[in-house]
Formats: sequence, structure tokens, C-alpha cells
Amino acid sequence: MTISTRYDESKADQISVRYYAGWFGAGIASILAGALLTIGCQSKSKHYELRGQVLDKNLANNEITVKHGDIPGFMPAMTMPYRIKYPAQAEDVEPGDEITADVVVSKDGSDYWLEDVRVTDESGRNHAQPQVAPRMLMPGEQIPDVALVNQDGRTIHLSDFAGKALLVTFIYTRCPMPNFCPRLSSQFARIHNELKKVSDDYDRTHLLTVSFDPKYDTAPVLRKYGLAYLDGDQSGFAHWDFASTDAAHLRLLAQAFGLQYQEQDNQISHTMNIVLIAPDGKVAKFWSTDWTWTELMQSMQAVIHLTRVGG
Amino acid sequence: MTIRGSLVLGAIFVALILVACESKERASNAEVEGRWLYQLHCAECHEKAQPELHRQPPNLHGLFLAKSLPSGAPATVEQVRETIVHGRGTMPAFDRLLSKEEVDDLLKYLQTMK
Repeated sequence: MTISTRYDESKADQISVRYYAGWFGAGIASILAGALLTIGCQSKSKHYELRGQVLDKNLANNEITVKHGDIPGFMPAMTMPYRIKYPAQAEDVEPGDEITADVVVSKDGSDYWLEDVRVTDESGRNHAQPQVAPRMLMPGEQIPDVALVNQDGRTIHLSDFAGKALLVTFIYTRCPMPNFCPRLSSQFARIHNELKKVSDDYDRTHLLTVSFDPKYDTAPVLRKYGLAYLDGDQSGFAHWDFASTDAAHLRLLAQAFGLQYQEQDNQISHTMNIVLIAPDGKVAKFWSTDWTWTELMQSMQAVIHLTRVGG
Repeated sequence: MTIRGSLVLGAIFVALILVACESKERASNAEVEGRWLYQLHCAECHEKAQPELHRQPPNLHGLFLAKSLPSGAPATVEQVRETIVHGRGTMPAFDRLLSKEEVDDLLKYLQTMK
């Protein structure tokens, strides 16, 4: 994963278009020059300067949670986790520290991380509040039983899927960035189609795509969106729900699953989160970056198998 | 024709040229703006291979030269406008992202793509 940021600001080539937007008026020669520049920019990762305060640190996965100001060209001020590329730099940072760092976005825009992390003020270390970021569930913890409304306008609860491996993710249907929501839904479609080949797996698994844009993503909109990924097969909704919920329940889900989202200029900046919930209703695993559809599907099959072995 | 008459005719001729030039320039600006919008919002999916997407978005070059759109619908400006504004299949809706004027500019540019 990734973070999804504003469409026109998160990818090097898209940003480069902006750089030379003004050149177009100068004529064809400038357009050609701009096209060449695009090709050049696509081959490089993009760097943005981050300034903020560390709220939490997780050495196990080299992640720190940073409350940062605006990162021009990347994302507005918010609190979110970042992976530090070099583990030694994570060891030097403590909650409460003020830091500067380079946010590096991979050339294809599908990954991001921190480099060149520097502590500028460590006087806040002793006053740091542990885990100020929203309380996120840990593997093994019971999920809240949130009510949602699905693509048919029917109320569903997370508890409805007890006894199944439930894979949950979050999107908004208007998301124009191919590497973010469209990729998530496309990869969920692959999982859906693959699981369909084995009826036992199909019966013991479920997919749930939750919109964090409930005002726009009404039941009919979600139904149309879902059918596009189900190749028009309505019976697929029995295995894959597309749902939204009210603001209060959405906040609860977001806190529990570590989702962050913020609407600005009619686009929604958001983190990408995938959660696997075991048949007993407990969190089995989280993903944000570095996942493939096969890994997600195999993890679903593994928790079903574990449940069988465990009786 | 009197000298005065010639001057009036000349002035009208110059005015017509100026109006024509301005109109052409405006059209040209719309295409330039449309091209920029295309690069910003469309090219990422419609110009590049997207193997991780459920469906590869179609190439839009020559869109209006064919009788029908890749979807099978008639290749009309209004049909393409509908697709941009409300989305179609896995293509997201751009109604909140693009103004009516921007969609107009984008459509003008799409019509120039060979």
C-alpha cells in the first residue's frame, strides 16, 4: 500500500505535468520538451520534506507514527504511520521527538517510506503520551460489531460473518488513482474469482469493501460499483458486500482498523488498510503495504484451516 | 466605390479577421487546457498498461473516429461526457473533480486525438 493522497499530488509524473503545464502555451516544441521531461520524471522516486512530532514507535516493523504539518505536494497535515527505510534511524527516534525527514514515494507511486530522519528537538521525550494516535486493534483482539448498509440497502453487521474468514478494506468509489482504490477492488475481485473455484473455500470466506464516502457512495452507487468488479454477476454479492455506514460507526471502524481519511477539494486523502478477521471475530492480520492478492487469499485460507484444525 | 466606402469595407474585413483569430485562439486554448487535463486525469490509466486493474482502460486515441465507443455505445460527445461525469464500469465518476468547463475542454481535446 500505500497511502492515497490527493490525485494530482501523489505521483511524480502527475506532478511533473503540473510543472510544465504553463509550457503548453509556448507551442509544440515545449509540449515535446514536457513529454520528455515526463519520461525522465517517471524513472525517479519523489522526495517531500516532512516536519512533525513522533507520537509512537514500533520497532518490529520500523514504523513511527508522526503528527506532521502540511507536506506541500504530498498531503495535508495529519497523523499517520510511516515506515523508516533504515532500521538504525528508527532506533534513534523516540516518541515526543520533533523530527525532519524525507518522505520518499516510489517511482510508480505504490509505496512510500521515510529516509534521512533527523531529530531536531528531543526535549518532548519525557512528556510524550504513548499511543496518542487512534486506538488500533491488535491481532487477537475482538472486533466491534459495527452495523453497515450494503449495496442492496440492507443492514448488515460484522458479526453476520462469524464463522467465516472476513477480509475487509476501505475505498471511495470516486477514487481516480489506479494504484489505490481501483487496485484494491481489482485485487479483491481476483480473490473473489479464485475462491469461487473451490466451493468449500467460497462458503467459508467473505469480502467486505467499506466506503468512507457515505454521502456519495449510497447503496445504488455501491451496487453499480460492485457489479463492475463482479462482471455483472449479482450472485457475487452473496460473497462480497459493498457497504457504507454513518459517520459515528465509520469513525469507530477507522479507529479500530487504523484507517485515516480526510476530504479536501472534493478528493479524499486516505491510508490503505486491509484487515483479515478470523472466523472467531478476532483480528488475524493487517496489511497496508507490501501485499499481493495471493498473500491475502492464502491468509484467508490459512485461518479457515486453523479453525478446522482447532475444531 | 468611394474612398470612405472602401475604408468601411476594409475595417469590417479587419474586424472579421480579428474575431476569427480570437475565436480560433479561444478554441486552441480550450484544447491546450483539455490536453493538460487529459495528462493529469486520464493518461495514467488510458495510456499506460495497468496489469493490476480488473479491466485495462481503453486507449482513447481516435475515440471519435470510430462509429462506436469501446463500450459499444455511439461515439458521441454527449455519450463520452456521460462517461466522464458519472463513470462507467470500473471507471470512476469525475463529477466532483472536474467542472463543466473542464469537461468541455477535455472533450475538445479528445476530439483532436488521432
